[in-house]
Amino acid sequence: MPCEMQQGRWEHRYCTMWKSLVAAVALLAVSGSAHAASAVNKDAETRTLIVTEGGSKTELALAGGETVEFCQNGCFVTLPNGDLEALTGSETVEISGGVARIK
Amino acid sequence: MPLPPVSRQEIMLFRLFRLILVCALVASAPLGAIAQVADQVPATPGASQAPAAPVGSQAPVAPAVSPAPPGLIADQQKMIKDLTAKTDGFEKKIQQDGEEDSSLVDIRLQLEELSRESLNTALAFRTRLAEINARVQQLGPVPAAGQPPEPDIVSTERQALTSEKAEINAVISQAQALSIRISGLIDKIGNMRSALFRNLLTKRYVLSDALSPQVFSDARDEFGNFYKAVSSWLSFAFKFKFQAILAATFVALGLALVLLVGGRRLFGRVFEADPTNEDPSYLSRLSVAFWSTLLPTLAVGAFLGSTIFFFNYYNVLRGDIGLFLNALASVIGVVFCVNRLTNAALSPRLPNWRLIPVETGPARWLVRLATAMAVVISFNTFLSIVNDKMGSPLSLTIARSFLATIIVGVILILMAMLRPFKARDGSWRPWPAWLRYLSLSLGLFTIVAALLGYIGLALFVSLQVVVTGTALITAYIGFLSAQAIGEEGAFANTSVGRWLSANSSYEDTALDQLGLVVSVAINLMIVLVFLPLILLMWGFQPGDIQAWAYKLATGVTIGSVTISVTGILSGIVVFIIGYFLTRWFQGWLDGSVMARGKVDTGVRNSIRLAVGYAGVALAALVGISAAGIDLSSLALVAGALSLGIGFGLQNVVSNFVSGLILLAERPFKVGDWIVAGEISGTVKKISVRATEIETFQRQSVILPNSNLINNAVGNWTHRNKLGRIDIKIGVAYGSDVKQVHAVLLEIARSHPLVLKNPEPFVLFSNFGAAALEFEIRVFLADVMNGNIVQNDVRFAVLEKFNDQHIEIPSTPRAVVETKDAKAWPTDDDKIEADFVEQEQAKAEAAAEAKRAAKSGRKARKPDPD
Repeated sequence: MPCEMQQGRWEHRYCTMWKSLVAAVALLAVSGSAHAASAVNKDAETRTLIVTEGGSKTELALAGGETVEFCQNGCFVTLPNGDLEALTGSETVEISGGVARIK
Repeated sequence: MPLPPVSRQEIMLFRLFRLILVCALVASAPLGAIAQVADQVPATPGASQAPAAPVGSQAPVAPAVSPAPPGLIADQQKMIKDLTAKTDGFEKKIQQDGEEDSSLVDIRLQLEELSRESLNTALAFRTRLAEINARVQQLGPVPAAGQPPEPDIVSTERQALTSEKAEINAVISQAQALSIRISGLIDKIGNMRSALFRNLLTKRYVLSDALSPQVFSDARDEFGNFYKAVSSWLSFAFKFKFQAILAATFVALGLALVLLVGGRRLFGRVFEADPTNEDPSYLSRLSVAFWSTLLPTLAVGAFLGSTIFFFNYYNVLRGDIGLFLNALASVIGVVFCVNRLTNAALSPRLPNWRLIPVETGPARWLVRLATAMAVVISFNTFLSIVNDKMGSPLSLTIARSFLATIIVGVILILMAMLRPFKARDGSWRPWPAWLRYLSLSLGLFTIVAALLGYIGLALFVSLQVVVTGTALITAYIGFLSAQAIGEEGAFANTSVGRWLSANSSYEDTALDQLGLVVSVAINLMIVLVFLPLILLMWGFQPGDIQAWAYKLATGVTIGSVTISVTGILSGIVVFIIGYFLTRWFQGWLDGSVMARGKVDTGVRNSIRLAVGYAGVALAALVGISAAGIDLSSLALVAGALSLGIGFGLQNVVSNFVSGLILLAERPFKVGDWIVAGEISGTVKKISVRATEIETFQRQSVILPNSNLINNAVGNWTHRNKLGRIDIKIGVAYGSDVKQVHAVLLEIARSHPLVLKNPEPFVLFSNFGAAALEFEIRVFLADVMNGNIVQNDVRFAVLEKFNDQHIEIPSTPRAVVETKDAKAWPTDDDKIEADFVEQEQAKAEAAAEAKRAAKSGRKARKPDPD
């Protein structure tokens, strides 16, 4: 641990470097944050969503309790009850009791 | 109640906000939604009762959910129809314009927009779908066969809702089909574009047609047309728009001047090369090169851009003239930039400020050649736009491109042949081999390709040489400057470094590390700026680059492992935050809570350490899970490894556990005087693996914790610092023992540091061989003072015994004189002479061995005869 606190005082030399590093990393993390829709399956059994994104249909199987990110720039999704919905890519699809809700 | 002004303002704000909210609600909700709100107020009790007593038909059944907003479905259907029609149009256009790259890109962008729109039409149904689903759930399931039937009103409503939902689903699936179709078209465009590019590179033209004398007359016609167009525009502009032109030019000129002068003022010192400086540092040369390229280029760019902008603004431009002017502006910009860059890097006038140590003559030539190349390429591009707009014959285009590529190829070869360096003996030396051959082969390739008729390929290569080459050289200069800043002590010498060291408490080492960070940051920035730039020049679309960056950030999946930059970064950030939180909490607990609570230092230390380890472990765990690394997949491996780790790290683990036990049990604490085996000293620090003990000779001993747990440890200051010291004294036979006892007791009692209780005690311990042996045993409040007390007591004893004539016997030792043979007198000269002799012998032996080895090797070789 390079940034050891000794007698309540930061050891100076490493800390400056660490602080700069932390600042840089934080900046990168903030600038690099991106969004996608996510699906949460709160049931015990596997649920399947059919996702149409970029001209291809894929089946997205969600195991019990799993969370998956998908659909980066808009897609159509067929929910377990057969409903077809459009997503812009910032929603959360929550499946519980076999029923999907979009938030 | 009179309100203070601030809260009154707040209330006003709140009211305003409420008003806006209500307005927005009213505006956004269609009439039906309001009806729904009105309906639901009485409906709520009924709705809540409905599932509870579905059989009781007398229960008031909730009225239907608000009717569908009229025409929502029809509207969206119409919209999708429109979109489909537009898509059809684009599909046709793709077939028509299949030969033109720029129009394909344009169509692609519009198709992407259409795809978004189709998604939006589907999105419009979301609230309605949610409403229907909620209502269907409220109505409950269709009663099974055995159960009593539900009231009519419920079943009709359910039916209506189901059919509406089916309609909506049908519309959304239309939108989905449309978006799939659009994606297909976009893919098709991508394929067509790559085919076009391939075609451009591999298409062969017949040169004999293009290079006939016909070309000259074509060119003359073409030039005549162009001249006519430009001159007619000029006369029009001067007649009707003269003031506008003047105004636009002046404004643009003013803007560029402000930029240039302002930049010169701001960066004046780093911008201008100082001719009097004999030996400028590499860093200052780099920064001068960089800024003296960037600022004037920016100024020229601003001038050209604003000129065109204002010409457009005043409607001066007409027809194709705008296109020509745009092209001309980019030609001037590129040529200027290349010229500035080469001038800055090679600075033919100031040899001291050259980035690359070429000689003055070659530097001048290099600048000229590079500029010439830029001029040729840019002029060719400009002419190609003119040709395009004038609809000139293909042969002219081919001839022009042929000429340009040949000139570029020749320039490249000339550059390769240049001998820019001077050796010590004054002879000229060529470029490094790789650079020479690269340039030579590029030049030859261009010329050969052009001669064989692959004009497109040759033009592409020569354009890339100029544009990509410029970008690469700039990036390389940036990399070099990053390297220079990263060097030891370089950052402290920069103006920023000097400012920092003057205005902050940074030390030299900290500045050095900061320099390292800056250099890494510059490297990163260059990659981030130039990689997309070069990719863009190679014909990739911004969308592609964005998608790549996005993919890189969100995760690249290799097999079943997903590596995501954001994930890793967020993991690191979470860990760092956790780490600092732990440190802060530790400090707060130790400094504020426990110090105030008068907690014992040992306990404080233990708690602080335990909190620190627990916090860091927790932060690491959370960080790993935030990084998206699944620990459960590691469990299997960990299970298999733990056996091996158990054996391999036995000692470390045992020490670690011992450390935890030490912290919990606390047999000693920091500051205690302990004796562990041979080692006796003060405990300085208890860590998890080892404990640091400082002996009284100030030697630090790092003792593994398991030693302290497994073996006996003496602690002089465990519960208190009380301790006994013993001082032995012998008196001669014949002394008055009673008197001695009394004197000793008196001395012991009279010392201020000696405790009264337990009482000092004088032990008559032994009838020794030479003396009657006594022992003074005294208890001290702080055993650390033992040495002082012992000293004082011994001095006092000696003094008192002298006074009272009590003898302390000392055993006499016999002195035996032996008569040895006289040793050789120590003689430095003799020793030195011996040493020299030995060395000589050694050297001779070595030489002999070498000779032997050589002759051996020779002997192994076959005989030449």
